[in-house]
Amino acid sequence: MDILLNWLANTPDFAVPYALAALGLIISERSGVLSLGAEGLMLVGALIGVGAQLAFGTTGISLFLAMLTAAVVALLFAMMVIVLRVNQVIAGLALVFFCQGFTSLMGTLLNWTNQALTGIGPLTFGSLTELPVIGRILFNQNIVVYLTIPIFILVALFLNRSTTGLRLRAVGENPQAADAAGLPVGWVRLGAILAGAALMGLAGAYLSVYSTKLWVAGMTGGRGWIAVGLVIFARWSPWRALLGAVLFGCIEALIPQLAAAGVKLPQYFVLMTPYAVTLAVMVWVAMAKSGIDAEPGALGEAYVREERR
Amino acid sequence: MPELAPAMSPTPQDTILEINAPEPAVVERAKPPFVPLASRRFTVEIRQQMSWPWQALILGIAILAGLAISAAILIAAGVSAKDLLNEFIVQTFFDKQNFLAVLFQAAPMIMIGLAASIAFRARFWNLGLEGQMIWGAIAATAVSFYEVGPEATRLPLMFIAAFATGLLWALGPALLKLKLEVNEIISTLMLNYLASNFLLHLVYGSWKDTKDNFPHSPEFRAFERLPEFLPGISSAILLAVVVAFIVWWFVDISRAGLYLRFVNNNPRMADAVGVPVRRMTLSAVLISGALAGVAGFVVAAGQEGRLTQSFYIGYGFSGILIAFLARNNPLAASVVAILIAALFITGRSLQVFYQIPFSMVQLIQAIIVVCVASSDFFIRHRLRPVAAKGG
Repeated sequence: MDILLNWLANTPDFAVPYALAALGLIISERSGVLSLGAEGLMLVGALIGVGAQLAFGTTGISLFLAMLTAAVVALLFAMMVIVLRVNQVIAGLALVFFCQGFTSLMGTLLNWTNQALTGIGPLTFGSLTELPVIGRILFNQNIVVYLTIPIFILVALFLNRSTTGLRLRAVGENPQAADAAGLPVGWVRLGAILAGAALMGLAGAYLSVYSTKLWVAGMTGGRGWIAVGLVIFARWSPWRALLGAVLFGCIEALIPQLAAAGVKLPQYFVLMTPYAVTLAVMVWVAMAKSGIDAEPGALGEAYVREERR
Repeated sequence: MPELAPAMSPTPQDTILEINAPEPAVVERAKPPFVPLASRRFTVEIRQQMSWPWQALILGIAILAGLAISAAILIAAGVSAKDLLNEFIVQTFFDKQNFLAVLFQAAPMIMIGLAASIAFRARFWNLGLEGQMIWGAIAATAVSFYEVGPEATRLPLMFIAAFATGLLWALGPALLKLKLEVNEIISTLMLNYLASNFLLHLVYGSWKDTKDNFPHSPEFRAFERLPEFLPGISSAILLAVVVAFIVWWFVDISRAGLYLRFVNNNPRMADAVGVPVRRMTLSAVLISGALAGVAGFVVAAGQEGRLTQSFYIGYGFSGILIAFLARNNPLAASVVAILIAALFITGRSLQVFYQIPFSMVQLIQAIIVVCVASSDFFIRHRLRPVAAKGG
């Protein structure tokens, strides 16, 4: 019973980075830009989050700076794919490795590696937190967990109910038609990339500031890539992505609980589970392919006005 | 000519609005237009072809720009400019010992570059090179660990085992892509994580060296290691050169290579003219995986002499970079691979002497990719100034 309770109470903590990163990817990919750089931008967010926390000690500032820096780094990617029309896979991969190298170098040079952050804990709501069972699960999480829900609501409303969201989707589905209708394809995509990058930065900062409470080079451990898979699993819908993120959170939260309960499992096979599950859900989604093809029509294609198709 | 109009200049829609506007637009037009430099009109045109020397020049400038940015970062990180030039450029290429080290490092690099370029020729993003490499090294080590076969055939057996396991590890994502359209970028990357965790399971577990208790396999016996064919030059480099020529023959001379070029240019057209697109894609990916497996064998049996826990780090992106810079051409890939090997050697020295993390190599590679990919714009497009509108 205790294990079950701990497991459920810890799940949001593991789910939030996946959820935020996947949401950022959805914004960007709905505008037709394949943001493979998620893994790298999460690293940037994670590094800056810890750095800012060490410098200023205020989580709000740290999270904000992490989002800002991730967006600034994503400008490089945006320039490559929008202005210079570089292949989006190449540009995304380059961004990941750029960020991996850069964060690792900065972490070492600035001496931010392995510096534990202190004084960051979950919120408590007095007697509500004391409630049996649901108290720990619902009323003892940190602030970002609570913020994730409104962020999802806002983004889902934005994408599906607002004019700007409609424009963003139009650019992703058929940039030629969107251009003919007078939409600035490049600017819309730039906005989508930057907004998406900010969310990925937030996801990374959550990992380092709230989850591990320290920076280690390469600490995202492929979560950005898993988020890319998650978006395919979610068929580019925010709510399904949230569901998928909770699923992954459950799996990751279960691992330490099993270890604590004394279940002997080969350690490295346990560490494989998130990746194996990603692979499994990708195959499952491909096999269960319904009639609806939710993939944005122009995903991964540079829009070049001169190239009439 | 369709054009990309800068934001400042009037577009056709604006002209229509002007005509409808109450003000007499014609009077405005009569003045000779002054166009500030910042809002001069340029059109972007698609170039059909650019001559080879110009392409080479643009590529060269892009690589130099990438190296200059990297050097600036290194200098900012505390490496003195003089050391950078002396130790890492003069020493690496003009010192015999260091050059041999570069060649030694080049052998697996050539393999991995060839592996990447073959897969990319079939439009398959094989990002699983590291996983296939890990399995190649594991299989080769298994042959040594369980002492399969007599001494004389041990090394060939290790080679074959590495080849086969690398191929098998690539089979999964290839079939998933062809049968179910599963995105190969994600599937191959996830398989990398599975492979690397399995590697850790082995080297921290049953394969741990009992002599020193470090997380690596016991050392290979002398006959299980790639011998030197000339003093100081490992036969690994010979193997790499032979493989490079075979791959060159395959993609440039053989019928399959011609088919592969069809597939690369336009899979639908290739299918329409009767090229077996799926079979070509599958075989290209399998060869790619097998070559990556062999690269793992080369590192294990040529360099390390055992299975280590992080031997594969940096190879995956290097392979992509090599294939990208060499435009998937096997012979060019071999040359680029030597340069990347030099970068690896430099990265190791930086790590030892300046405590710069090895991921600096990845940063430099990424910067070069960014510069070269961006420079492609100028190869594929032409910026042409046009007369200011209104005349």
